[in-house]
Amino acid sequence: MGDGSLGRIAALVRQDCRLLVRDPAPLIIRTVMPLLIMSFMQPLFRAALRADDVRDANGAEQSVPGMAVMFLFFLVNVVGFAMFREHGWNTWDRLRVSPARPFELVTGRLVVPLVVALVQLTVFFGAGGTLFGLRVRGSYLALAVVGVPLAACVVMVGMALVALCRSIAQLSVIANLLALLFAGLGGALTPQSVLPDWVRPLAPGVPSYWAMRGFSTVILDGGGMGAVLLPAGVLCAFTAGFTVLTLVFFRTGHRKLSWS
Amino acid sequence: MPTDPGARRAEGAAVPALALRGVSKRYGATTALEGIDLEIAEGEIMGLLGHNGAGKTTLMSLVAGLLRPDTGKIEIHGVPTDRDPRRARRDLGLAPQELGVYPPLTVRQNLRFCAELAGLRGQRARVRAEEVAEPFGLTALLDRRVSGLSGGEQRRVHTAMALLHRPKLVLLDEPTAGVDVETRARLIAYVKELADDGTAVCYSTHYLPEVEALEASVAVLDHGRLIARGTLPELVRSHADSAVELTFHGGVPPLHLPWPVTHDEDGVLRVHVEQPQLATADVLAALGESARLLVNMRVVQPSLESAFLRLTGSGAPDRRPPASPAPSPVPSPAPSAPRTAAPAPGAPANTAPARGARAIGGPDEPPGEDDHGPLARDLEAEQHG
Ligand SMILES: Nc1ncnc2c1ncn2[C@@H]1O[C@H](COP(=O)(O)OP(=O)(O)OP(=O)(O)O)[C@@H](O)[C@H]1O
Ligand SMILES: [Mg+2]
Repeated sequence: MGDGSLGRIAALVRQDCRLLVRDPAPLIIRTVMPLLIMSFMQPLFRAALRADDVRDANGAEQSVPGMAVMFLFFLVNVVGFAMFREHGWNTWDRLRVSPARPFELVTGRLVVPLVVALVQLTVFFGAGGTLFGLRVRGSYLALAVVGVPLAACVVMVGMALVALCRSIAQLSVIANLLALLFAGLGGALTPQSVLPDWVRPLAPGVPSYWAMRGFSTVILDGGGMGAVLLPAGVLCAFTAGFTVLTLVFFRTGHRKLSWS
Repeated sequence: MPTDPGARRAEGAAVPALALRGVSKRYGATTALEGIDLEIAEGEIMGLLGHNGAGKTTLMSLVAGLLRPDTGKIEIHGVPTDRDPRRARRDLGLAPQELGVYPPLTVRQNLRFCAELAGLRGQRARVRAEEVAEPFGLTALLDRRVSGLSGGEQRRVHTAMALLHRPKLVLLDEPTAGVDVETRARLIAYVKELADDGTAVCYSTHYLPEVEALEASVAVLDHGRLIARGTLPELVRSHADSAVELTFHGGVPPLHLPWPVTHDEDGVLRVHVEQPQLATADVLAALGESARLLVNMRVVQPSLESAFLRLTGSGAPDRRPPASPAPSPVPSPAPSAPRTAAPAPGAPANTAPARGARAIGGPDEPPGEDDHGPLARDLEAEQHG
């Protein structure tokens, strides 16, 4: 650091922003689609929650955080694309020859997806309140304390997959599978209470479980900061784990195959 | 700064901009480079020649740090790349062989990004982007998306992107592939300007007239080995073919000539003589009666092309030189400038077929003085066995 490192990271971030501005449609769709799905799922979740003895539930208590968590993990693809397209454009070698260190290249490419994830969470919960009547019994700050490490975890899953996958086709199929698997196991697709017995012991093994547990604690049980420290901490641990994976397996010299 | 001339003088000898010592690189069973010893001085343009797969790109990738040598050392401005890679490569610019641009962004955005990555900010990055665009003829295209540019225009952007940080060592891997004559000339003029300012340039190409236009020194790679290194005149003098080519009506008659001869595939007899423009009379006399069957006679002056073909073994008897267009059977009267003088930068592409060939009775110029001078002593050329 201190030798222009921050400047180079800023340059990479600006470049990502320019590319995002050139083609914002995928991101807009990624943000609007979950809102539609939330509205489809709401009646189902209302019934499930009422059956679960949450008497005044309107369904948004599950549909909003559930779909938010599920669709956030689809952003893993965005991190993957951002890295793999450099290989497709042959600009990766340019970056390697530039003064930027590997650490800067990776960090620079994480910033925009991280901001996108945070914006998406904000939109999801904001729309949840205004469109779907989501009532948060606990503190919004506590929601953020869960949301920020969740977003960090998502982008680090993306970078770990970049380090591990040889082609964007591999990354994309794994990312989509993981998003659905995490959502199913973690109780984002159904309330945790109705998960089948065999799934329950597995659930804590996925980050979605902890995100849903944190969000539900705040939304349904009125939990505050203290109540979400454990889920937030576990999400941080997941993030650290994926960071370690990235550090161990990421090599700037690895050849990667982009589309085509 | 390692490039500070004061520091160099203090050390006594000039530090080369680039030095490779015993560099080898293998890809699995393929030996891409073997035992390369090579220096490029500051302000020197080195034309890097070699057939497809000779190792040119590998050499540049090693210097740029995209690959690591299996053995050997690389120093850039005296800084060993293995010990201090960041400092060594701080002033290095690479335009790889494969086009590497951001297609969705404009030319300006592509150039600015490279400037910013090199540490320029705001206004300075903007100004620098425009400065670099100018010699590449990109000024009018600055706000066009790169994806909408022609192939040659994209390559210009690609090459310009390597130069935003004013590198002191520039590696250009086939920068003129697919660009038009005018752009080629402009690029060559700009590269010469860079060299005049002390920049060392390693320039690979398959297009030999470019090397002549650049007044570059030459390094020839063949199957991963450096088989020749020297100035252009040195190389031509010691390796180029010189001959008188004869075409006869009804095929080559039986002849006994006092010079070594080779037969081309298309019935052309090559008589290998020194100073062919002086030997024509002797050759004609030696033909005797057969001279009446003669339909064409060409003087083949020593050229970089024939030196290159001879060095890489492709100019062997009865093999058509793959790097050159087929020599025209029609006597070419085009008087190209003496080979050692740089052709006007506007025209290198047009002079290729005529170079080195002289038509009998056509305007024939005496060869450049240094064509037949004594072999320069510092020419390090070795035939690869
Ligand atoms: N990634 C690679 N894996 C295996 N072999 C390779 C690889 N890259 C190059 N080679 C081999 O190494 C040798 C040198 O290749 P290189 O690309 O350096 O040649 P070049 O002189 O640049 O050729 P060209 O004029 O076609 O660009 C060739 O035999 C090539 O097949
Ligand atoms: Mg090459």
